Amino acid sequence: MSYASRRDFLKFGAALPLALHSLDLRKAIPKRATPPRRVMFICNSLGFYRPNFFPAARGDLSSSKYLAGIKTKDKLTVFQNLFHPGMETSNHDSEKSFLTGVPKPESPNFINSISVDQVLAQHIGNETRFPFLPLSIYDRGWGCSWNNRGIAIPPMNDETKVFDKLFGKEDLLAKRQQIANDQLVVNCLYRDIKTLEKSGGDAAKIDSYRVVITELEKQIEHDAFWLNAQKPEVPNTLNTDVEFAFSNKIKNMLELSKLAFQTDSTRVITFSMDWIYGAIKVPGATGGWHTLSHHGGKKDVLEKLFRVESDIIQHVNQFLADLDGIQEGDGTLLDHTTVVLGSNFGDASNHTCNNLPTIVAGGGFHHQSHSVLERPTPLCNLWLEILNEHNVDVGRFGSGDQNLNLLAS
Amino acid sequence: MLIAISTMARADSQGIVSTNSNQVEAEKLLAAYCFDCHGEGGEGGLNLVGLLEQGDFDGTFLFENLITSKMPPSDMEQPTAAEKQVILKWLAARQNETAPSSFRRISRHEFVHSVNDLLGTNLELENEIPEDRGTNDFDSDRRIQLSKEQIESYFSVADKLVQHAFPVEGFPQEKIWITNKLRDSHETYNIYVRDYKEGTLLSWTRANNGNSYSFFYDNFEPPVAGWYDLTFDAMKVGEFDGDVSIQVHSGKYYYADDRPQPQRLLDVISLSNRQLESHSVRVFLNPGENVSVHCYSQHTYRNKNPTEGAYIKQLKVRGPIQEQWPPKPYPTVFGELSLKISPERGQNQGLEPTVVSGFQSNLKKIGGKLTVSSFQKGMEKEKMQDGSNRTFWHTRFEPTIADSPHFVILENPRQIEIEGLSYATWSGGNGNGQVRKFSVFVSDDGKTWGDPIIEGDLEIRLANEQPIPFTRPTTKRFIKFLITDSFSLDGRSLASIGKLDVLVGFKLDHPKTKVVVDANSPDDLKRVVRRFAARAFSSNLSDNELKSYFGLGLRRLAKNQEFSQAAKLALKAMIVSPRFLMVPGKHSSPSYSKVAALARILWLSVPDDELLGLANEGPISDEVLDGQIERMLSDQKSNRMVESFCEQWLNLRSWRTITPSLKLYPHYDDLLDYYLPMETTAYLEYLIRENLPVGNLIDSNFSILNQRLARHYGIEGVVGQKMRKVSFSSEVPRGGLLTMGSVLKVTTDGFVTSPILRGAWISKNIVGTPLSPPPEEVKAIEPEHGKTAATLREQVERHKSDPACYACHKSIDPYGFALENFDTTGGWRTKYRVEKPHRGTFQFRLNGYYDLAQEVDASGEIGNQEFGNVFGLKQALLLDHKKVAYNFAKKFFEFASGYKPTLKQRIDLFNLIENDPDDCRVRDLIKKVLVYSLEGEEK
Repeated sequence: MSYASRRDFLKFGAALPLALHSLDLRKAIPKRATPPRRVMFICNSLGFYRPNFFPAARGDLSSSKYLAGIKTKDKLTVFQNLFHPGMETSNHDSEKSFLTGVPKPESPNFINSISVDQVLAQHIGNETRFPFLPLSIYDRGWGCSWNNRGIAIPPMNDETKVFDKLFGKEDLLAKRQQIANDQLVVNCLYRDIKTLEKSGGDAAKIDSYRVVITELEKQIEHDAFWLNAQKPEVPNTLNTDVEFAFSNKIKNMLELSKLAFQTDSTRVITFSMDWIYGAIKVPGATGGWHTLSHHGGKKDVLEKLFRVESDIIQHVNQFLADLDGIQEGDGTLLDHTTVVLGSNFGDASNHTCNNLPTIVAGGGFHHQSHSVLERPTPLCNLWLEILNEHNVDVGRFGSGDQNLNLLAS
Repeated sequence: MLIAISTMARADSQGIVSTNSNQVEAEKLLAAYCFDCHGEGGEGGLNLVGLLEQGDFDGTFLFENLITSKMPPSDMEQPTAAEKQVILKWLAARQNETAPSSFRRISRHEFVHSVNDLLGTNLELENEIPEDRGTNDFDSDRRIQLSKEQIESYFSVADKLVQHAFPVEGFPQEKIWITNKLRDSHETYNIYVRDYKEGTLLSWTRANNGNSYSFFYDNFEPPVAGWYDLTFDAMKVGEFDGDVSIQVHSGKYYYADDRPQPQRLLDVISLSNRQLESHSVRVFLNPGENVSVHCYSQHTYRNKNPTEGAYIKQLKVRGPIQEQWPPKPYPTVFGELSLKISPERGQNQGLEPTVVSGFQSNLKKIGGKLTVSSFQKGMEKEKMQDGSNRTFWHTRFEPTIADSPHFVILENPRQIEIEGLSYATWSGGNGNGQVRKFSVFVSDDGKTWGDPIIEGDLEIRLANEQPIPFTRPTTKRFIKFLITDSFSLDGRSLASIGKLDVLVGFKLDHPKTKVVVDANSPDDLKRVVRRFAARAFSSNLSDNELKSYFGLGLRRLAKNQEFSQAAKLALKAMIVSPRFLMVPGKHSSPSYSKVAALARILWLSVPDDELLGLANEGPISDEVLDGQIERMLSDQKSNRMVESFCEQWLNLRSWRTITPSLKLYPHYDDLLDYYLPMETTAYLEYLIRENLPVGNLIDSNFSILNQRLARHYGIEGVVGQKMRKVSFSSEVPRGGLLTMGSVLKVTTDGFVTSPILRGAWISKNIVGTPLSPPPEEVKAIEPEHGKTAATLREQVERHKSDPACYACHKSIDPYGFALENFDTTGGWRTKYRVEKPHRGTFQFRLNGYYDLAQEVDASGEIGNQEFGNVFGLKQALLLDHKKVAYNFAKKFFEFASGYKPTLKQRIDLFNLIENDPDDCRVRDLIKKVLVYSLEGEEK
């Protein structure tokens, strides 16, 4: 696998992209010495039943019902006692704060801030065709990714569309024309914005529009740049089973994530597993996931919930194993990919947000299988550490002011 | 943008004086009427004395309890109306409220409706734009800000709509397809249909997993996205009561196993007669979708070799339909400019439609031929081309076995571009000869073949078509499909194929009509832009302001582009412009803002010519405004508002995602799912149209029903699936929103009903009782309908023992309990159903898998009014129509304005409500709230 990145292009000077039509990229660009580093955040918005999740015996993953079967045990750390300060309890809006740490998401005047994945995307996302990939399993318009103005970035929940976006063939001629037209339209809009300003239009309104047009303009430039490189060709390995739609959706999204990382199409992925409405079916159980999550400690409900959560864990387990099975440089794809699996709920049954079930896997870190923190510690400290580990120095992030310093090798 | 309205904190002299005197008076009144229970350590829980001392508190809860007369309780001494106003006004004045943003983005629904109206198109593209409502109640919420992703999708949808309006390659000509042939279907289900007279007789078939089993029509695939008329010549067969329904679906053809893919339900045809009649539906179809039908009648469930059901003689498809000619976008956008059309067609429908009937393979359509390496008698090569995979080609095995290589050569004499092959196994046999591996070669002369252009594997158990796309299309004269490995039970060399055909684009057999605008002067183009801008921006802009949009079009005109194509980019720029996307826009006069707001709220769109004409004339009088609102409400386009308002107010959007358990509720089917939300919107439409009293939101002696819904509700004598007003006696618990299946289903998860969730939802959304969030660290109680478990009621009744819970739950649980007689699907029940295990994998059956458990107890007490069930609850709610009207007014205000009314505005809204329940009518109330919200806009 070669890593034809934007930085590599730039090394060859500004003239290169123009000449690239006639060049075979793989020949033109030398292989990178070190594989790139990627990050993925997975949020299970209905939490994990903690007695099944956390190892009963400290440091022993085999004493966790869910994690006993994990194949990549030595490349993973389970964190216990993380939380978002000011957010001991909340409701389902808490998912909005999972990667931002802004308290009181349930308040009507809640204003979010940038999420950790977006900070990473700003720093390490520019070298790939897709600066980041926001995924979900349900069409709701928001997930865990929030931009620098605290506005939700709608995740994609249709795996066919995601596949097409990543690997689908493009009509390059039409796309080029499209981009040229869009640039003309954007310029026209800039001119009109000026006219509006001169005629005394609502300044706040104009600003809020200008900022998205400017972002769009950058995106168009980015797209124009990547028109010069072909998309990777990848066989469609998505599963089309309809019986276990929920289970299958998760599997497909993880498969897409693997392919996206493997082909270096993106380096930042955020995956929201949110399915509040209706019933789902996984092997061995059918029920409303949300209803089941409010188990109230009842045995038969917990049994069903166990099936649902085991199913999720099993897919993540396979995903990690898949990444670990792909050789890359002197290690595996997993060694160069930090995967976080967590939740906005500590106990979804009571809507509490303390002691959040959190796993960090891969990334080439010095893993310690199970890390129980002495005191309740801001989850943002972990986010800060992940930022630092990817050479992003932001000083502090959300409620995090101290790098956890638990992962560094 | 934060503007504190609180007068408490303000230091200007006058404010303080008046606030203080108000405060003193209000506090006196609170002391007189409330402190008895809400003093320090009072029995009411809430300590008002403490709150007032603390000074800085959110008064909304207090305000709402007071204005809706929830407090003081009815058995206590009541403040006079004037005294109440004093307290309310003081609470409103002291409230710290964040001023709503002065603008918002238009929602995806507003965008698509507006652009369709602007261009004269009719494309439903909402789903290509991300849903950005999040957890806000309404699309119009001003807290929702435009994101890059959103504007990106507005850009791409704008392209699609403009391209659809003025396609550079022209308009596909209308065609007619006639077919009476169903595509091959799985033998398990094939037995529920049979050939009958000249067509097919269908009985009601649900697959083993409970999905509707659809039968697909052959010989028709929509060549382009567009509207098509589907005409079924059909009749009901059988002596039973009621209509038989044909559900018309579209979706991808599947050769079904036990898990048919869900299809998109387009429309329903109701067959009541026993005579053949034509039934037409107009539907939107996309390329790659097939039309399928599902017959529904509870009397004909899974009749093998049916003698009763729906007989469909044939399906006639006509399309893609252009409703008018020249297509509507031209007069809409280019006005009077003349057009050139080639080839010429008449005023209405020029060209004779092409009729396709009987099966024709693609190979035949392109004049191609087949040759094979060998064949067995009765299994000739033609069998691969007859549209069925029951018949098949087989290599020779008698009297001698043909040696490999086995192959098929397809000849393409007209050298048409071929994109690939389509292969299907033959079904129903032992699998002998099914192809496992293949190679495809091409050749100019049929002799020299070179390297294969593609090699691959085929699935031998899959019976539906397996496409084999080539990496690039070929125009070579010969294509060889070489079988390199095949399945054999006894190791002999065999090969067989059910279907083999070429894949070709439909371009070749679908001629287009080109339309060009016969104009090329810059003045004409400017005129077009000016006109479009006036409609899109609801404003009269100067040429200077439109300069940048002119520029886009003129530039292309100067390059000799055809006029309509030259205008396209300018049109697109206008529909992604801040003047269009950000509302309220910058309008040239208050009248223009007014008509823009009216059109946005009532039509989810832009003003029409009549409104713009009025705005152009100057100020709009109240009388004229009233007339216009009446006209707009009577216009079809106002259905968008009703639908959108219902969807958001009553959560009907998340409704479809809840699938009831087929073990507990086997009667739940596509039709019910289709019609339940329709009842709600049709009912509200009716209340608005007839201007009925708001009490009808709670109860009435009618609803808008059809045969399927009436059966679900146990109402007899309703025949046919047309929705119409059905009146019923007072013993029927239906009528009003509370007891509609849609509303009853929305808070469930498809398995059980939770009186708490349902109660809270009804209480908040329909009754309008203010609720504060549950206290922290309270264990949730979840429903459990079991034989052994403590009854749900006992569990929930525990709320009563804890004052912290009971303070709120006394306004929640009773609603939930009163509705316990309604199951997850909104059906009536007197006993709970408890799931029963089944053997092996789930197999759908009409009786489901459940036992009946304990009796439902639907009694309760609300505000000192005891009731035994839902009838009593409705009576109790009807005692105070103002509460219901107030809630409705607040919701409609929020829908229209994009923010929750401030406490001050709520006083105004409350004052709009008529005192006499008979005078308080839905249409009047909507109009009053609308006018009130328009005034707010002008400030």
